[in-house]
Amino acid sequence: MSTSTMEVTGAALKSAIESRNGRMLASFYADDAMLRVIDRNNPPSRPREIRGQPAIATFFDDICSRAMTHEVATSVAEGNHLAFTQACAYPDGAKVFCLAMVELSGGKIARQTIVQAWDE
Amino acid sequence: MKTPETRYARSGDIRIAYQVVGNGPTDLVFIPGFMSNLELHWEDPGYSHLLHRLAAFTRVIQFDKRGTGLSDRVDAHHLPDLATRIEDVHAVMDAAGSGRAVLLGASEGAPMAILFAATYPQRTRALVLYGAYAHFHSSVMGAKDVEAFIQQIETSWGNGSSVLSFAPDQARDEHFKDWWARYERMSVSPSAAIALTRMNAAIDVRPILRSVHVPTLVIHRSDDVRISCAGARHLAQEIENAQFVELPGRDHPIWTGDVDRIANEIEEFLTGARPQTDQDRLLAVIMVARLAAPLQPGLFRSDSQWSERVDHLQQTARETIDRHHGKTITVENDHVRAWFDSPTRAIRCALALRDNADFLGFSLSVGVHAGEITVRNDRAFGAALYVADCIAALAGRDEILVSAIVGDLAGACGLHFIERAMEQFDGIDMPVHILAVMAEQHLEPLRRRIKAPDLHVLTSREREVLGLVAEGLSNPAIARRLQLSDHTVKRHVANILLKLDLPTRAAAAAISAKQ
Repeated sequence: MSTSTMEVTGAALKSAIESRNGRMLASFYADDAMLRVIDRNNPPSRPREIRGQPAIATFFDDICSRAMTHEVATSVAEGNHLAFTQACAYPDGAKVFCLAMVELSGGKIARQTIVQAWDE
Repeated sequence: MKTPETRYARSGDIRIAYQVVGNGPTDLVFIPGFMSNLELHWEDPGYSHLLHRLAAFTRVIQFDKRGTGLSDRVDAHHLPDLATRIEDVHAVMDAAGSGRAVLLGASEGAPMAILFAATYPQRTRALVLYGAYAHFHSSVMGAKDVEAFIQQIETSWGNGSSVLSFAPDQARDEHFKDWWARYERMSVSPSAAIALTRMNAAIDVRPILRSVHVPTLVIHRSDDVRISCAGARHLAQEIENAQFVELPGRDHPIWTGDVDRIANEIEEFLTGARPQTDQDRLLAVIMVARLAAPLQPGLFRSDSQWSERVDHLQQTARETIDRHHGKTITVENDHVRAWFDSPTRAIRCALALRDNADFLGFSLSVGVHAGEITVRNDRAFGAALYVADCIAALAGRDEILVSAIVGDLAGACGLHFIERAMEQFDGIDMPVHILAVMAEQHLEPLRRRIKAPDLHVLTSREREVLGLVAEGLSNPAIARRLQLSDHTVKRHVANILLKLDLPTRAAAAAISAKQ
């Protein structure tokens, strides 16, 4: 199934995230895209950076292998920018909450920053 | 820090305790060795550091195997076999919502991880084996040694003496030994330890090594005292495309020794990127206190009395360092090393340690120096430590010597210093300017001063400085007037107060005005 032509919109991201469709998600990213994750273990001065579409595909492949729920509650679009919140839950009740800011270029995601917090 | 919540997964009728740490994209299930206790892991600096390192790039799922730690106890005479135990891994992954995970098998956890990877390849993203073996008798110990180890469990389980068989380099660390003894007691009972030893002695997963078809990394320490390095190398050769990394060291537990080297190898294997290496470099003030001698000859009538006092001194040293926001590096019979984030705290801690030692009948010689050090796994390294050691070696009984950089950084904190010497230490390019810390005097002496201080004890330059102090000039103003450095004027003022035995510059100004 080819998914590379789907337009990157808030609705498309919501659908791919909530259905844990890692392949679809990966197809939204440009070849040289950069995904930045900031959290307690990866502070702003040393964020975790995942560079390039293949590494980002592996990232989503791993996350989407988890038996968990994802809900994209709010998304805001402005020009080439998209922002959304994501509430997730593991089967044992542990929750994760993320804020994501997406920068589009040429119809693909060029940069994305995720800030996340979770139950421990 | 708050420890993660302990949760329980159902594996048949048994409940398996597990914890989840971090939220990296890749799940990593940590299968521990012979014994474990989830909550005690957080009390050991090495163990908690390892978990934090792994949690920076994975979601770590650690658990206690059935019959150990916080998981349900099982009949020690009917322990489950490896096949049953891998179902516990399955149950924990299901409970934590992990579809597939990297399995980190350490020591006895390694054969379990190998069996899981061969049985459930679709749920195994990769294998990382540390301190691993496939065949117990050829890699760990022969039948005769197993019986000797069981005898050791019979006679001394719970007192921590087994640390020598696992981590000899940690055995001199009393804190680690105490922790290890509790770790024994709270991980498995003596009967379970014996039964587990017999069960582990039967492990032989050599026939399934070629059935493992997932990316595999095998890490082993060259001189591991517990498990043969040759056995681990052979294991890596048998697993398809496995990478083998040999690291220096002889301690067996994965959380001891240079934990960062292990975490670095795992991070590079899983993410393809080498972690930054300068994160653990920092500017610190190092204090080294050496036990100089008893205050009076023959003060301690017996070795036990001496030993008790030294134990007490060591214990109070740790508390004193903590109270001054310092980090203990080493506490040995004849010295204490610690680092601080402020020179004033380091010196005040040294003063408090000296008072403690005095109370216990000892005298200390202390050296303090500031410089960059590397802190890894709560252990510190660097040339600055060597310089602090050298300064402490120069100090006399009850003397606190500091390098000039410490004196300058301490600034206006109420401490006073006097010139001591310029010293050239072997291996250090530049000579080090040494100052001595003067005792503070917050209160006026109780008895009246009979005689006014004699200003003739001062040099002509000091008298000149005192005159300007009496005029109310600040140190920088005096420095400008006399065309000296601020630092030199500060030294002159300190020497004046010392020679005249006066507590403050105001008192010195008053004496000067009277005469």
